Amino acid sequence: MSQNRWLATGNFFTSYKQEQRTFFTHLDRTIFTCFLVLLFGWPLVFEISNKYMLVLDNILIAIVAVMGLNLLLGFAGLISIGHAAFVGIGAYTVASFSQVIGDNHVFITHFWPVVIVCAGIMGAIFGAFVGLPALRLKHLYLAIATLSFQMIFEWFIQFMSFFNQGQTIYVGRVHWFTGMVGRSDHYLFWYYIILIFVVVLGFGVRNLLKTKYGRCLVAVRDNDRAADAMGMNPGLTKVYAFALAGFFAGVAGALHAYLYRGVGFESFTLHASVGYLAMAIVGGLGTLNGIFWGPVAIKFLDIQVEQFSEFVGHYLTYAPNVATALKPLSFGLVIVLFLMYEPRGIANWWRIVKSYTKLWPFRY
Amino acid sequence: MAHLKISDVTLSFGGLKALSHVNMNIEPGLITSIIGPNGAGKTSMLNCISGFYHPTKGKILYKEKDLSHASPHQVSTMGIARAFQNLELFSGLSVLDNLLLARHQNLTYSFFHAAVFYGKASRVEAENRKFVEDIIDFMELEPYRKNLVGNLSYGIQKKVEVARALTLDPEILLLDEPMAGMNIQEKEDIVRFVMDIQKERNVTVVLVEHDLGVVMDISDQIYVLDFGEVIGSGTPDEVANNPKVIDAYIGED
Repeated sequence: MSQNRWLATGNFFTSYKQEQRTFFTHLDRTIFTCFLVLLFGWPLVFEISNKYMLVLDNILIAIVAVMGLNLLLGFAGLISIGHAAFVGIGAYTVASFSQVIGDNHVFITHFWPVVIVCAGIMGAIFGAFVGLPALRLKHLYLAIATLSFQMIFEWFIQFMSFFNQGQTIYVGRVHWFTGMVGRSDHYLFWYYIILIFVVVLGFGVRNLLKTKYGRCLVAVRDNDRAADAMGMNPGLTKVYAFALAGFFAGVAGALHAYLYRGVGFESFTLHASVGYLAMAIVGGLGTLNGIFWGPVAIKFLDIQVEQFSEFVGHYLTYAPNVATALKPLSFGLVIVLFLMYEPRGIANWWRIVKSYTKLWPFRY
Repeated sequence: MAHLKISDVTLSFGGLKALSHVNMNIEPGLITSIIGPNGAGKTSMLNCISGFYHPTKGKILYKEKDLSHASPHQVSTMGIARAFQNLELFSGLSVLDNLLLARHQNLTYSFFHAAVFYGKASRVEAENRKFVEDIIDFMELEPYRKNLVGNLSYGIQKKVEVARALTLDPEILLLDEPMAGMNIQEKEDIVRFVMDIQKERNVTVVLVEHDLGVVMDISDQIYVLDFGEVIGSGTPDEVANNPKVIDAYIGED
């Protein structure tokens, strides 16, 4: 390595370990650190209403869930239309703790990180189980198999009195070192916690993708016959991919349960599953940064449409609720447009911008 | 002692017999070729050895172990690697990643090491990267290391296919028509690589090939298949003078 580690120019690798770095130059690392500091620091300076804080929390939770879905769909090439059900498994793990030991038990209020990890493991177990059809099924048929899991999940929750027939099951307020997290700090507190989860899990995914546990996913996607000949067990790899996706979904579900302080089945319907799929596609399948773009874009679109329909609502007084009509319309339109014109998602725009700025101000 | 012993292997799909009562001895350190007209069962034979098909009858013994019911990933860990006839590469990955994938069984870190990517995972990755670089050097793939495999030309992809099989560090390398669809120059290159693989890396090579000129030049031993049966075997000279083989290729007078 040359002396100037701030620029990519003139730096050559002299060992294979150097090539494993996540950040190749000091500049990359600094920009990333600044970005993180900004993400953690801005609530200290600005104050926004709980309504918008909740939106941010939702985006972050969606990022955790889409991490799993992108690994499954983008990297391992296995379609899942039941991702919201996996998220639901995580949330209902918390809910069943709350049903059995009471919603204000110390385990739920004080040991909530353990509960969240438990929910993730539960998601992974269910993921592995639902992944079993992937040993035999591919493409559309696998999609139908996962869809049926979504249906079974919804049916199961709605008909079990243990789960309150899908009505809200309360989860207590959590405690931090400073005592109970109160009503005013609730959303801010969870913003920080979910952000920490996103960063840790994000780095986890980044590392996995550099190792055999990430490569084997792509191998199975591209050619499972060859993967078999290269010493991987394709069936096991597919089940592992589902378990991994289930883990992320489970964590997202537990975070969702804690954030809303309750679990109801409406958040984990087929509609939500399609939403996660849309986020994964719009973000960019099979890319790491797509995981972050997708949820931000879709949720941002949601807010914009809401504001727009409020604006239109002033003029169309006879229309009862413009938002109900516009939301699914714009959502569907965005998916179709992305599939048609940018199937590689926003991550591709990011790639283009990056390669352009790399050379700027020179053309080539 | 025979390295790989194929005794009385029969493979049938319903009423169709792809292979019937095939006997072969693959001797260690030699280049053994399997030739025959189209549909003679050459690729079926390779599929049986590498575990994609399981023979209906008969046994495939490798170092006293029966391979006839092993799955492909078990066979590949035992030291038998295979390059495919139609390119079966991971087209969305770089050449480097394709080769690293073949090191899958040798990357011995745990999932949690991988998630943290510190210590063991990093070290083992670097070690295996070194091995992969040796193969890249050996197969002269240096310029394409970071290229996506799907974007490379056919000839290079064929080379990557061979390199990937070689990255498994096998004792026996099964090559299924490595020269199909190549021009003379590329063919000469591959022939040179096959001979280098045998001599420098001490790998036993099993070659399925249509180009008889190449086969007669480099093989130590040849088996001729026709309609799923072995109709001749021996050194190139013996096979070339075998009347049954001449019949199968040129037809009877």
